[in-house]
Amino acid sequence: MGLSLTHFLVLGAILFSIGLYGALSKHNAVAVLMGIEIMLNAVVITMVAFSAYNPVPKYAGLLTGQIFAIFIITVAAAEAAVALAMVIAIYRKRNTVDVSDINMMKW
Amino acid sequence: MAFYYGSWLILFAPLFSFAVIIFGTRVWDYMVRPNDAAQVDPVTIGEHGQTEGHSEQEGHAGEAEPELAFAGVHGTAEQGAGGSPYGRVYSDITYTSVKGPHGETLTYENDDNPKVAHLTPGAQAGAWIGLVIVGLAAIYSWLLLLNTAGVISIAPYLPQDGIQVFAYNWFVQSGNAANYVVAFHLDRLAIAMMVVVTTVSFLVHFYSRGYMEDSAGYSRFYSYLSLFTFSMLVIVFAQNFLVIFIGWELVGLSSYLLIGFWFNKRAKPAEDRQAPANAAIEAFIANRVGDVGFITGIMILFATTGTFDFATLASKTSTQGVAHAFAGNTGLLTLAMILIFCGAIGKSAQVPLHVWLPPAMEGPTPVSALIHAATMVAAGVYMVARTFPLFAAADPAAFQTVAWVGGITAIFAALIALCQSDFKRVLAFSTISQLGYMFVGLGVAGIEYGVGPGMFHLFTHAFFKALLFLGAGSVIESLHHATHKEVQDMRQMGGLAKFMPITAATWLVACFSISGFPFFAGFFSKDSIIGLAYEHGDYALYFITLFTAGLTAFYMFRAFFLAFGGKGGKFGGIWGGPYRGEGHPHESPLSMTIPLILLAIASIVAGYWFGFYSYLTPGAPILSFATVLGDVRTWIGVIVALVGIGWAYFLYCRVGMETVHNYVESHAVLRVSHRILLRKFYVDELYNLLIKYVVFGISHIEQAFDAYIVDGIVNGVAQLVMTAGRDLRHVETGKVQTYMVGFFGGVALLAVLVFVLVTFVR
Repeated sequence: MGLSLTHFLVLGAILFSIGLYGALSKHNAVAVLMGIEIMLNAVVITMVAFSAYNPVPKYAGLLTGQIFAIFIITVAAAEAAVALAMVIAIYRKRNTVDVSDINMMKW
Repeated sequence: MAFYYGSWLILFAPLFSFAVIIFGTRVWDYMVRPNDAAQVDPVTIGEHGQTEGHSEQEGHAGEAEPELAFAGVHGTAEQGAGGSPYGRVYSDITYTSVKGPHGETLTYENDDNPKVAHLTPGAQAGAWIGLVIVGLAAIYSWLLLLNTAGVISIAPYLPQDGIQVFAYNWFVQSGNAANYVVAFHLDRLAIAMMVVVTTVSFLVHFYSRGYMEDSAGYSRFYSYLSLFTFSMLVIVFAQNFLVIFIGWELVGLSSYLLIGFWFNKRAKPAEDRQAPANAAIEAFIANRVGDVGFITGIMILFATTGTFDFATLASKTSTQGVAHAFAGNTGLLTLAMILIFCGAIGKSAQVPLHVWLPPAMEGPTPVSALIHAATMVAAGVYMVARTFPLFAAADPAAFQTVAWVGGITAIFAALIALCQSDFKRVLAFSTISQLGYMFVGLGVAGIEYGVGPGMFHLFTHAFFKALLFLGAGSVIESLHHATHKEVQDMRQMGGLAKFMPITAATWLVACFSISGFPFFAGFFSKDSIIGLAYEHGDYALYFITLFTAGLTAFYMFRAFFLAFGGKGGKFGGIWGGPYRGEGHPHESPLSMTIPLILLAIASIVAGYWFGFYSYLTPGAPILSFATVLGDVRTWIGVIVALVGIGWAYFLYCRVGMETVHNYVESHAVLRVSHRILLRKFYVDELYNLLIKYVVFGISHIEQAFDAYIVDGIVNGVAQLVMTAGRDLRHVETGKVQTYMVGFFGGVALLAVLVFVLVTFVR
């Protein structure tokens, strides 16, 4: 039994769910960011899988997904930098990184 | 024919005089008043009068200045010796106690109608303008009457259907028959009524120059009289229901203004008299209650036929006539006509809406003479006469209703009048009773006699009732001068004939006339109605009207003997006698006695127009002296009247008032019935209870509905919004993770939706 598209998509889905769970339930801001990273990477896997197992012969040789992966990694890195900068700024002001405590914009 | 077409001048002349008085003379007065006077409105009431109770109008040059006060505020004597340009303005409130017949203390207080020392030139000019204009209108209408009756010949024959004098298209729908036209027309019925209205109005204008000469608000009074005359003429000239309703409401307004003329005057519970302001409201509301039926009836007619016009409704050929539109559905027509008659019940003070007329006596006596004796209350009769063909086209039940309401009213009011001790109240109930006679006359006449009998009684009644009221005003005024109080109780009068012979003589003429004594006017008009009731087969109505005639004679002569005669006077107590009041009354000045004499002549002569029936309804029988005298029923009526007169003479000239009173009080049956009649069958109390519990009860329910349900809904919506807001704001937690949950949850939902749609929806 060889690996097919389904295996990779399921892997991507599971990873996405894990990342989503982490992003939604973690209290530590850095952990939330880690969850977001996991989500991004899950998306990368999905994209590469689609690129590798592309059923349309005309587009089979193109490495669309792989190129996409490079872009996503780049963006993810930049975004992580910005997000961590925000976390540091918030920590300096509020002396906490617990996202539950950062809820001033409420009723 | 220009003679007839010029009659629009009669209609609009009083309106012109109203406008001139309001916008001309009153403005002129305002502009020429001297600047040094404070802005004193002479109509305001003073809280205090002089120290002692006299307030003669003639100059009190050397006396202490009275306190001039505005309503509720004690003023200071800031004016100089002259005061306002109207002279000193004062009113006197003092109290006098006299012993009543039971030994109880009757407290009379002076009326609080403000008086002025002299009238401004504008006020006098206004009075002259009103007088002259109404006088000219009266002359014109007499000329019209004499011309159409054939006595003189100025213009050719007036068509039976009349001519249209003025029309204004208020709202015309082309292609649709519903036209709203303000139209006035002239025919013989209108001429007969117009003569009554303008003549009595002219005499009242003349009389008021004497009666109201020291009253504040003189020009206001004349403006209201002009307004009333105009309103009444609108009713007289009306060609359709729209216009007659406009006039109907206008006379109601004028009546309200005139009854409440002394609007600051207080009630006198000791004499069972209301304040004039309340009496005015009661009059207007009672009229309005009747108008509900009136409007409903008009609407039924309009909805079925599509027109308001009297001639069109009455015609037998037009498709819009009632004969055609209600064919086979006469029950609906009868209902409509009975509802229209409800308006007449309210306006002409029939039972059950008669309650406004006795309190309306709180207005000045010339007002009572004009409005509540001769003209406005006759508007109901006139309206039924105008719509007579419509009543005839309905079932006999319509006429029966008219006749029976009239008959019941006649006897009801006559019984009450037997026991009243207030001079004007006796006359008020007498008016109600005689109006009942007019409706009986209209109800039993049938097509053959037409509107003749009812209108003839209206015609003669206007003259002798106006005479009775003006004479009463003369008595009241002269007693006011003598005692400085407003005396209307007959127990305070007595033997006035020796002080006021002209008033007494004219009153006697009017009493004979209203009692139906032979050769006076009332004889011809009243006995013909009684006879017609018999001929029509309504034997019950015949006996009712006959008995009421006896009662009428009794109470009118009771009033006469109590006021002008008394035990111990001349001619066996008829003329003069002991005077039970204070002071020395004098005869009234010429300005008041001349109208009395003229009306006395009319009260005798007006009955001799035997062609009245055929004047209004061609082909009706002509009264002839011989048949009237030869009919045995006429003599039965005369005997009944003489019995009434004789009994009154016996009781009040021979036996004496106190003895009669003691006899009545000492017998239980008589005492109870006296009490019931004195309290007017407790109708006023019944209506008070009705209003207090039913009307106000419903209004309390509705108020609760408004406060709890309507406001509850409005406030409830606001509460709902606020509660929703207060609870929904918790959605916004401020935590990013919460929002992310929402975000991804929505994405998941959308994914499921797309999957389902793609799979199952082909």
